[in-house]
Amino acid sequence: MAPLVKVSNLVKRFGGIVAVNDVSFEIYKGETLGFIGPNGAGKSTVVNCLTGYLPATSGKIEMNGVDITHMKPHQRVHMGLARTYQIPRPFPELTALTSVLASSISGKKRINQSFQDAMYDATHYLEFVGLFSKRNILARDLTFYELRMLELARALATTPQLLFIDEVMAGLNPGEAKNAIKMIRKAKEEFGITVFWIEHVMAVLMEAADRIVAINYGSKLAEGTPDEVVNNDDVIEAYLGKGWREYA
Amino acid sequence: MVEMELKRDRIVIRLGTKKWEWILEPRYWRNTLLWAAFLMIAPAVAYFYSPGLINTMISANIYAAIAMPLALMTIGTGRMNFGPQFYIGVGGYTAALLSIAYGWGPLTTLPFAILMSMVAALIFSPLVIMARGLYYVLLTLLLPLVFLEVTFIYTDIFKGDTGLFGIVPLLDTGNAKNNFLLIGYFSTAIMFAYLWFINKILKSRYGLLMASINDDEDVAHSIGININKIKIIAFVAASTLIGIIGWFYAHYFSSFAGITYLPLTFMLKVLLVLMIGGRAQVFGCVVGGYFVAFLEMLMIRFMGPIQPLLFPIILLILLFILPEGLFGLYRKRRYREYLPTIHVRR
Repeated sequence: MAPLVKVSNLVKRFGGIVAVNDVSFEIYKGETLGFIGPNGAGKSTVVNCLTGYLPATSGKIEMNGVDITHMKPHQRVHMGLARTYQIPRPFPELTALTSVLASSISGKKRINQSFQDAMYDATHYLEFVGLFSKRNILARDLTFYELRMLELARALATTPQLLFIDEVMAGLNPGEAKNAIKMIRKAKEEFGITVFWIEHVMAVLMEAADRIVAINYGSKLAEGTPDEVVNNDDVIEAYLGKGWREYA
Repeated sequence: MVEMELKRDRIVIRLGTKKWEWILEPRYWRNTLLWAAFLMIAPAVAYFYSPGLINTMISANIYAAIAMPLALMTIGTGRMNFGPQFYIGVGGYTAALLSIAYGWGPLTTLPFAILMSMVAALIFSPLVIMARGLYYVLLTLLLPLVFLEVTFIYTDIFKGDTGLFGIVPLLDTGNAKNNFLLIGYFSTAIMFAYLWFINKILKSRYGLLMASINDDEDVAHSIGININKIKIIAFVAASTLIGIIGWFYAHYFSSFAGITYLPLTFMLKVLLVLMIGGRAQVFGCVVGGYFVAFLEMLMIRFMGPIQPLLFPIILLILLFILPEGLFGLYRKRRYREYLPTIHVRR
């Protein structure tokens, strides 16, 4: 099966610091790919390179066989990439509905869609994440969980093929986190998207991910099914330190 | 090619795979029509009782017509431009120099004024991509001041110290009082045209895209908005609209001097129109324009020489008392309704 996104030898340098060093992996259509690594491993940098937020120093990113390495973020969105942020970044002065509306009219090009049609479209996504009753509330007045859901609705409204999720659990209580995970699974089923999921909480990815890629210091450590990755010595060493066997 | 279809409450316009809906809701037109009727009758009433008021109304309309494109520019680029009067200078000097050199009337100089302000705006439009925050403010603040210096350095062309005279007037009916009345109506027409056009843009999908750029540029980029395109279009379109006001000034006074419009004092007035009306609300600009123009007129009449000092102080105090502006008092009742407002980032 041809991969949806193929990343080959991705390198990102900030001056002398190598944040991402020669990382290659593939994302296949319909799967949930987990992306793990200790703090500062370069996870977010990889996402930023993939979504075009940061230009890659070298390497190649292909999507459906098209080279998107030098495309701008909005062009990548039109190709079908969408992202959420680690810390929610809403449009503070827009209401929940208009935030989603903005991404509905600016995401992947739809034919015969007027401003009013886009409004119906946005309403659907807002209803999907359970924020319909908050549609006329300014985004700055929403709670943290609602902002997360708003981000998800905003990302889904661009009609992505591949959704990058950056740490959905951060800052949520267990009940909310459970809902959030349920919502992402539901979105995956209903909209047929591929999910690229960065997460610190291993338990979540063990359950949700089909495959996991682990990185540390910007280089790939392991790739495989969740069980394989979790039992990989390099991965355990990266998380627990070198002398972990003595205490195990 | 362009298909139009009239439905019960809207006109549906189709072009290729694109579709627009223009909603017609006459039940919401009452207040607009009442205000429009008031502004159309006011000059005629003033004509019989106090013709001097027409002059104040003209300047009020023109202040509003400068502040409205500035509001559009501020929302569309997400940056506060502190030198919109630069484009008044460009439009005004183009019209003035051409009119004096070739004896052209206002209709002939108008396309050139539009063209020149558009070209000037295009030349400086990379600023909205390169500079952010304070740097953008400083760079835009410098432009009109540099232009003012240029008018003094090349004083043989621009007549920086005396101003340009002998421009063909906007209208000439032979009666000064009638001229005033007609120009009063003309300025109201310009103001209404700007109001309609800019309000239409801000309420359309492009207005929403501008509002999201104004809120958070990076996020706007990441949901698929071509931010550079929208910012440049907003910058150039708004600058051109401001340039047309320069053309109006040149032909209205039959003289044009950079020292009147280019210094900071003029910008301060425009900025206050924008803020007193209510943070970059287009309707607020009209309220602000009339408020500032009439306050200025009263101050000049009753305060005499202390006016240049007191006028900005009073306005600054008002800014503290009314942070949402005069129009904000009205908006407070419907505060959750969507309309883009400015959000000046540090």
